[in-house]
Amino acid sequence: MDDLLQEFLAETAESLAVLDVELVRFERESSDATILSNIFRLMHTIKGTCGFLGLPRLGAVAHAGENILGKFRDGELEVTPRAVTLILKAIDQIRLLLAEMETTGTEPAGSDAELVGEINDVASAGTVASAPVAVEDAPACGPTFSDEGFPVAAELLVEVAHALKHEAVDAAAEAPAPQSLPEPAKAPAPAARTADAPRESESKEPSSSSIRVNVDVIENLMTLISELVLTRNQLLQMQRVQKDNEFKVPLQRLSHITSDLQDGVTRMRMQPIGNAWNKLPRIVRDLAVSTGKKIELTMQGADTELDRQVLEMIKDPLTHMVRNSADHGIEDGIARMAAGKPETGTIALNAYHESGHIFIRIADDGKGLDLERIRAKVIANGLTTEAAIAGMSEQQILQFIFRPGFSTAEKVTSVSGRGVGMDVVRTNIERIGGTIELTSVAGKGTTFLIKIPLTLAIVSALIVEANSQRFAIPQLNVVELVGVSDRSEARIETINTSPVLRLRDRLLPLVSLRGVLGLERGSKSTDRFVIVAQVGANTFGIIVDRVFDTEEIVVKPVAPLLRGTRFYVGNTILGDGSVIMILDPNGLSQAAGQIEHADQEAQDKTSRTAGQGNELASFLLFRTAGSELKAIPLELVARIEGLNAATIEHVGGGRHVVQYRDHLMPLVPFDADHRWQETGLQEILVFSDNGRSMGLAVDEVVDIVRDRMAIELSSARAGLLGSAIIAGKAVDIVDVGHFLTQAFADWFDTSVAQYATRHALLVDDSPFFRNLVAPLLTSANWKVTTAADGAEALKLREAGHQFDVIISDIEMPNLDGLALASAIRKDPRWNKVPLIALSSHAEDGDVNAGREAGFDEYLAKSDQTRLTENLARVLRLAGRGESNDNLRRAS
Amino acid sequence: MSPLCLIVDDSRVIRRMAADILKSLGLRTAEAENGLQAVEFCRDTVPDMVLLDWNMPEMDGITCLRQLRAMNLEPRPFVVMCTTESGMPKICEALEAGADEYIMKPYDQGVLLDKLAQLGLVERA
Repeated sequence: MDDLLQEFLAETAESLAVLDVELVRFERESSDATILSNIFRLMHTIKGTCGFLGLPRLGAVAHAGENILGKFRDGELEVTPRAVTLILKAIDQIRLLLAEMETTGTEPAGSDAELVGEINDVASAGTVASAPVAVEDAPACGPTFSDEGFPVAAELLVEVAHALKHEAVDAAAEAPAPQSLPEPAKAPAPAARTADAPRESESKEPSSSSIRVNVDVIENLMTLISELVLTRNQLLQMQRVQKDNEFKVPLQRLSHITSDLQDGVTRMRMQPIGNAWNKLPRIVRDLAVSTGKKIELTMQGADTELDRQVLEMIKDPLTHMVRNSADHGIEDGIARMAAGKPETGTIALNAYHESGHIFIRIADDGKGLDLERIRAKVIANGLTTEAAIAGMSEQQILQFIFRPGFSTAEKVTSVSGRGVGMDVVRTNIERIGGTIELTSVAGKGTTFLIKIPLTLAIVSALIVEANSQRFAIPQLNVVELVGVSDRSEARIETINTSPVLRLRDRLLPLVSLRGVLGLERGSKSTDRFVIVAQVGANTFGIIVDRVFDTEEIVVKPVAPLLRGTRFYVGNTILGDGSVIMILDPNGLSQAAGQIEHADQEAQDKTSRTAGQGNELASFLLFRTAGSELKAIPLELVARIEGLNAATIEHVGGGRHVVQYRDHLMPLVPFDADHRWQETGLQEILVFSDNGRSMGLAVDEVVDIVRDRMAIELSSARAGLLGSAIIAGKAVDIVDVGHFLTQAFADWFDTSVAQYATRHALLVDDSPFFRNLVAPLLTSANWKVTTAADGAEALKLREAGHQFDVIISDIEMPNLDGLALASAIRKDPRWNKVPLIALSSHAEDGDVNAGREAGFDEYLAKSDQTRLTENLARVLRLAGRGESNDNLRRAS
Repeated sequence: MSPLCLIVDDSRVIRRMAADILKSLGLRTAEAENGLQAVEFCRDTVPDMVLLDWNMPEMDGITCLRQLRAMNLEPRPFVVMCTTESGMPKICEALEAGADEYIMKPYDQGVLLDKLAQLGLVERA
């Protein structure tokens, strides 16, 4: 095809995309003259270019469009949805003609008289309505195309165009060779001009800062770079074996240059995400018109760039989700106003870069997902049982919309709800190594957050080994590496046959690479590695035998035969020439059975901001004699051990101890009449502090769940704090302090007599925490008074109470901790009392804010071990009546 | 050195066509996408002639023309306004703003050659 024509096709396609967007904007803000003049100009340019290239049919449609836009501009025609729809139709027609030209290379025969006639009718109708005389003026804008007259005009135009073309060719042929032209009569040009000339030819052309390159060229280049990376890796591998030789330095250079080159080409493939968004305003607009809703689409970060391959893959999912939002999410005007929301619904698109990923957020302020309907649908479609769904959290139920065959559309419209719903969206996004998260609040709206990698072709990957086979894990998913062995601090434990790793303050679910891939279980070394990987909000560990280094690998698509498995995303060739599989962390996380867990994490995140009374906590559920479930806050449990019953020793007074890590650890049974087993395993919950440990003997560890802390407090029985509904079941919450004091009378470092009469004020709005901390204090021989918030605490001051230490939560109703601290420091009555903050938020910023407000010490609630430790230390200081300054220094 | 012609048009296609024609007539060419770019260009390099479109984003042709004339460039470049806007008022507006010639789109090599010859930039064969 003529490359000028090709250029025209590309340019016009771009213009049309802009036109789509601008027209929709214009319909909303029809008074905005700049938008209109921009639209007019684009249409005008298309028409003008058609004239140059001899494309009468296209030119006629563009002209009709320009005609009506001109009337808008001159205020002769009112902007109506019908008129805008007609212009959009004209744009569609132009697009259609362009598509045909793209394949045939020539303008298709035929006429668009009907459309042009319709447009001109509307154009002149407006004119007639405003001023009948204006009909006469209309032709001044250019040739008119009336219904009957147009085909003739088109033919004429073709003839004229042809004639012009011939003339042009003739003229060119007659013209003398340009080189032989004598130096033009520009003699008076001063010498300075000539000096300027070379500079101008170098770089001064304004439009030369960017060039257009065929996509194939770039793709080909990318393939070559990939091969280059492989070859470089191969050389590096050889170099590693050879140690020092003269190739070392040039190889390093080669390596750097290859990386730079790769960066460069990757950047070349980048396109703004706005390219994938262009169609959306039009789609939303059409949907709004056809459903009678009012919808506004806002777009932020349209210039965020991502790999065009990735862009192609997310185009359809994005379109689908925006359609869903417009069709099902946003209510009609009446329903919105009834719900007290603005009549116009909003769909907000936002794209941004963060840590090697692109984030795309699609948020609507509609009615949110209908949980009841999802629940009904899930059961009707047999996706799960009623019993199973009864125990699920909202977040877990919402996840069902990503299951195949799920569609919530009440009435199947022509737009969405065709049953290819969100499962396809999720599959597409996951195929490119991305994740999608969903949050929905009834009546407030739905938000999707998509996270995708910047590029697909070359990724950084960690090479690991399981059963003497090597695998690559995308570095993007790797959070940290943990070496585990039976001797080390980090050990693999088992809960309910599932392996877990206690990592800092949390239990991490594990999946064994050998197990999941069904590799032969050869000699099993106890020294292994756990790769802590993250997929979306879900963190889990992968057990591998060995870990090598990180390599830049070239992702080759997975062979069709293996496409059915969910554990691989592709394969690659390593520097030493071996071919290895690239693992799919997504698939592995599913194998770990962690989807529910992930949802809880996500829920955790959202509810952390939700505030008091809504706090999530992890509980360890266990059983003792009798079948009642007991729960204990997981933060308090240091370790879960299955001890050989034979190793338990009976000492005097019905007490039991066990050799544990070179120490004797006292064991306390949960039930006083606990029957100690003679053989088999005894489940022990280990609590540790200050190098001392104590074990609580239980019958069976059942599960670990996260749930809200909704505890009904009662002290019906020693050793129990009260009861709560956890995971839908009523359970007793265990008072750990009770058992701690049973094991060690001096657990909290109580040199009793020293400060027996000291008095502490504990301010916290959570009864749970008050009841958790108060026993710790009393067991350390403090007298404790509690207050539910800052205001209540200050009332105690007014009443003339005096305290030796005040321990306060930060987030509280009425008067929060920070305000309480400033109030205390301002008044001479309490301003000498040591003040300790106890908060679930202990980031640097929080701590600083706390210190500024007047707190001497800032402790995190989440870290139970350190909490008791710090509390004990601070209390010791406070108990000795240390001044605030000393306390400050001590921290 | 053959004369330098600055082509100002927002359409790549039209810029290329014009450049092809001008080059075949022995001129050197430079391109600008809109009036603003054209003004920027002329600050550094004064062309012998500017082929100036009317409807453009950022800065339209007539504004660009006024600015170019206000810059009092030396030597004074010829400006050929080149657009589909017809009618005497438009032509008069352009000439008053300092245009030397006026050319209707679509033009071809013959028409352009005529204009260039009239301005003395090329000699008719």
